[in-house]
Amino acid sequence: MLEGIISLIIVIFISPLFAGMINKYKAIFTGRIGAPVFQPYYELIRLIKKETINASSSSFVSKIAPIIIFLSMIFVSSIIPVGFLKPLISFNGDIILFAYILGLARFLQILSAMDIGSSFEGMGAAREATFALFAEPIFFFSIGSIAFISGHTSMYEIFNSILLNNIGYEIFIIVCSISVFILAITECSRMPVDDPNTHLELTMIHEVMILDNSGFDLFLYQFSSYIKLTIYALIEISFFYPFGKQNHFLGILIFIVGFLTLSITLALVETITSRYKMKLIPQYLLFATSIGILNLLIYTFMK
Amino acid sequence: MNILLDNDTSLLIFGFLIQFTSIFFIFLKKNKSAVFFSNTINIIGLAFSLFISIKFLFTSNGNTFPLFYNFVKIDTLSLFFLFLIQLISIPTSIYIFSYLKHYIDEKRNVRSFMLFFILLIISSQMIVIANHAILFLICWEMMSMTGFLGMLLEYEKNEVQKGSFYYFAASHVIVFILYIMFFILHKLTGSWFFDEYQKNLQIIYPVTIFLLGFLGFGIKAGFIPFHFWLPQAHPIAPTVLSAFLSGVIIKLGIYGIFRTYLFLKPLPEWVGWLVIIISLVSAIFGVWYALAQHDIKKLLAYHSVENIGIIGIGFGLGLIGAANNSLPVQILGFGGALLHTLNHAIFKSLLFIGSGVIYQNLGTRNIEEMGGIVHRAKYLSIFFLIGSIAISGLPPFNGFISEFIIYVGFFKTANELKNYYPILMLLFAVGLALVGGLAVACFTKVNSIIFLGTARKEIKKFVINIYDYISLGLLSSLCIIIGFFPTPFVYLIGKIIKYDFVNYSYRSVLETIEWNNFSFIFISFSSLATIIFFIKKYFNKKYSSRKIEAWGCGYNNITPRMQYTASSFADELNEIPKSILLYHKKIDLSENVFPKSFHFESHSEDLVDSKVVIPFYNNLRNILDKIQFLSQTDIRYYIGFILITIFIYSLLSFIWN
Repeated sequence: MLEGIISLIIVIFISPLFAGMINKYKAIFTGRIGAPVFQPYYELIRLIKKETINASSSSFVSKIAPIIIFLSMIFVSSIIPVGFLKPLISFNGDIILFAYILGLARFLQILSAMDIGSSFEGMGAAREATFALFAEPIFFFSIGSIAFISGHTSMYEIFNSILLNNIGYEIFIIVCSISVFILAITECSRMPVDDPNTHLELTMIHEVMILDNSGFDLFLYQFSSYIKLTIYALIEISFFYPFGKQNHFLGILIFIVGFLTLSITLALVETITSRYKMKLIPQYLLFATSIGILNLLIYTFMK
Repeated sequence: MNILLDNDTSLLIFGFLIQFTSIFFIFLKKNKSAVFFSNTINIIGLAFSLFISIKFLFTSNGNTFPLFYNFVKIDTLSLFFLFLIQLISIPTSIYIFSYLKHYIDEKRNVRSFMLFFILLIISSQMIVIANHAILFLICWEMMSMTGFLGMLLEYEKNEVQKGSFYYFAASHVIVFILYIMFFILHKLTGSWFFDEYQKNLQIIYPVTIFLLGFLGFGIKAGFIPFHFWLPQAHPIAPTVLSAFLSGVIIKLGIYGIFRTYLFLKPLPEWVGWLVIIISLVSAIFGVWYALAQHDIKKLLAYHSVENIGIIGIGFGLGLIGAANNSLPVQILGFGGALLHTLNHAIFKSLLFIGSGVIYQNLGTRNIEEMGGIVHRAKYLSIFFLIGSIAISGLPPFNGFISEFIIYVGFFKTANELKNYYPILMLLFAVGLALVGGLAVACFTKVNSIIFLGTARKEIKKFVINIYDYISLGLLSSLCIIIGFFPTPFVYLIGKIIKYDFVNYSYRSVLETIEWNNFSFIFISFSSLATIIFFIKKYFNKKYSSRKIEAWGCGYNNITPRMQYTASSFADELNEIPKSILLYHKKIDLSENVFPKSFHFESHSEDLVDSKVVIPFYNNLRNILDKIQFLSQTDIRYYIGFILITIFIYSLLSFIWN
C-alpha cells in the first residue's frame, strides 16, 4: 500500500520533468538553448491561475471530461509498477482495466472535442477515433502477448515474470519494447504521428482537440498528457528490470538511466523525423502491429 | 403426476394471472383509459412477478419446479431469463405511457398494439419456462406473430410494410427450422419433454441437431450472416417494440442456443471454434456496419449484432472449455455470455428508449439532422451517455464487467490448455479489443452528433415527460449498479452455471476474481472526481470563467452547418472495409468556377441483404413466375391437380411396398 502510494507520487511529480527533459534535449539537438527543464511545472502553475474559457456551445461534457481524463491517467499510472515497488492497484486482470480506463479517457477526450462544435476539433476527434483503432492491437500484441505467454494477468506480475535468462525470450522482449515504443509515440501524440508543437490545426491530432480549452481545464489536460507520457515510459523501462533479483539501488539506477535514455531517444526521433502524412499513419501503426505478430510467431515456433 | 403448488409457485402463477388480467382492460371504452389501465395493471403484474423471480433466483439451490404435469418447468436458467424479461419489460412498459400519447391523439388503433404487446411479454415469459417442445413452439410462434402485428402500428407506411415483412419471413424460417429440430429430437428420444432430452445422453448426431438449433435460434439472435432482418425490422418498429425486440426477443434466441446446448451437452471442439469465429465476425462487422449508418435506430440494430457477437464469443469459449473438460474455461465463457446477455438487454433498451424520445420530439431518425440536444435536454443526454459508455464496454458501467469476464476467459484458456491456445486466444482478445475500439468510435459519433455542438436543424420544442425519465432512469441506474457492485450478479451467474451447466463444489474461478476491487476502484474514482470538480469550481471562481464563441481562425460567421457531421467523422474508418460495407460516396460538383451548391451523399448497404437475400428472392420470384400458368382461376384445374397428386402418392406407396 505504502509502496503504491510512493510510486504514484513519484509518477505524478516526475511527469512534467520528463516532458521538460525531452523538450530540452530536442532544443539542444536543433541547436537552441531551449527552455529550462522545469518549464512544464511553471506552465502548469501558470495555467491554474488563468481564466477558464469555454466555447459558447459547450455543455456539461466539457466540464467533466478534463477531470475524468486526469483521474483516468492517475488510476492507470497506479497500475504500472515503478521500480520494484508494488503498485497501488494490482490484481488478476488489471491489464484489461488498464486498457479500458485508457479507452474511457479517449471516449471523453473525443466527446469533449466534439462538444465545442467547431470543425477543427471535429477533425482531431475523427482522427483520434481512427488511429486509436490501429493502436489498440499493438498493445495486445506487445504487452498482451507477454501476458498470454507468461500466464499472468496483472501488470506487476507480468513485468515480474520477465526473466532475461533465455536468449529467445530476450529478443522477444526487446522487439516487444519496440512495439510499445511506437505505441507510446502514437498514444502520447509525439512525432512522427502527431506534432505537439505545431500550430497548424490541419496537421494535429491531440493538440487540436484541446484547442479551445484554457485555464484549469487546460491544466488538467496538459497534466494528464504528461502523466500519460510517463506511464508509457515506465512500461518501456519496466521491460528492462531484472526482476529476478530485487535490489533497490539497482532499481533506482535503472530508473534514472531509463528515463534519460528514453528522453534522449524521443528527442532524437523528433529531431530527425518529420511528421508523416495523415494517410501514412495507419500504415505506420500496422507496421508496429505486424512486428508484434511476427515476433510472437517467431517466438512460438522457435521454442 | 402431482401438481406441485406450494406457496411460492402459486405466487408465480398469480403474477402471470395479473398480467393476463391486464388484457381485459383493453376493452375499456376510451382509448386513453384502455391504454392507461391495461398498461398499469400489466406493470403491476410484471413487478410482482419480477419480485418473485428475484426471490427464487437468489434462494434457488438447484431444484426445479415442475408445474402443470411437467409442461412447465422452471430451472435456474429459466429463472434467469424470466428475471431478464421482466426486468426489461417494466421500463419499456412505463415508456408506453409517453410513447402512445401521440398515437392516441392521432386516433390510431392503440388498443390492438397494447394487446399484442402484452401478449408478446407473456409469450416471451412462457417460452423460457416451457418444458414441452410443442408448448415451446406454440409460444415461440405467438411471440413472433404478436411482435409482427405490433410492428404494424403505422401499417400504411411503405417502409413499415417492407421492414415487418423481413421480420415475418425470418420468423417463419426460424419456426420451420425449429420444427425440424424438435421432430428429430422427438424421433431420437421418443419424448417431447425438455428434461428428457437433457437427461438423455445417447442422442445421436448431436452436432447436426446443434447446428440446426444454432441456425434457427441464431437467425433470431442475429448472428452474421443471418442478421439481415434486424436492421430492416428495428427502425420501422414502434420504439417501444424495438427496445423490447433488441432487449428481450433476440435474447430468446440466445436462450434457445443455451437450451439446445444443454440437450446435447458434450459437443466436439470444432463446434466451439465455429461458434466463436462466427461470433467474432458478427461482432466486428456488426459494429462496423453500425459506424456507417445515419439512421439512429438502424445503427442501434447493428450494434445488437455486435453485442450478440460478444455473447457468442463467450458461449463459444464455454463450448471449447466443455470439449476440453476444463471447468474454469466453461464457467468464464458461459458466465461472460450470460452476464453480457443481461447487460446488453439493459443498455440496449436504454439507448432505444432514448432514441425514441428524440424521434418523438424531432420527428426524424437521421442523426445528421440532429445536434445540440444537450442544451435542451441535459438529463436525456446524461442517460444516453451512460448507456453509450456501457455499451462500449468501458468502465465503470456494466458492459465492462461482462467483457472483463470474457477476457479473463481468454487468459484462462491460454493457461489451462497451453499448446497453441495462447496464440489463438490472443488473436480473439485482439479481435475483442478491436470491437471495443470501433464501439468507442461509433458511440462517440452518436453522442457527439446527436447531443453536442449546436443544432443542425432548428429544434422547435423538446418535451420529455416524467415517464421517459422514469424508464431511462431505471435502466441507467441498473447500468451503474451492475458496474459498481458486480459481486452479487457474478455470484448469480456462477449459480446458474453450477446448477445447469457443470457441477462443481469448490469456489469457482468467477468467485476468485476480486470483484470488490472494482467496487473500490470505481467508488474512489467517482468520489475523487467529485473532489476535483469542487476544486475546479473553486479555481474557476477565483480566477473567473466565462463562455465565448469558439475560435474560427478569424472567421466570424460560423454556422451549425460547418460542424463535423456523422459521415465525415466516420469516413476514414468506413473507407477501410469499403467493399464489405458497400460504402458509396457520391459528390456532385457543379461545373462553375465558383460553384453555388454541392451535393454530397454517403451510404452503406448490407452485404448479405443486397448480395444474397434480395437476389435469392428475385430469382425465386422469376422461377415462380414461370410456373404461374399453373395457377388458374378455374376450380376444375385445382381438382385436377389434387387428383394427380393423389395418383402420384398412391403410385409411390405402391412402388415402395
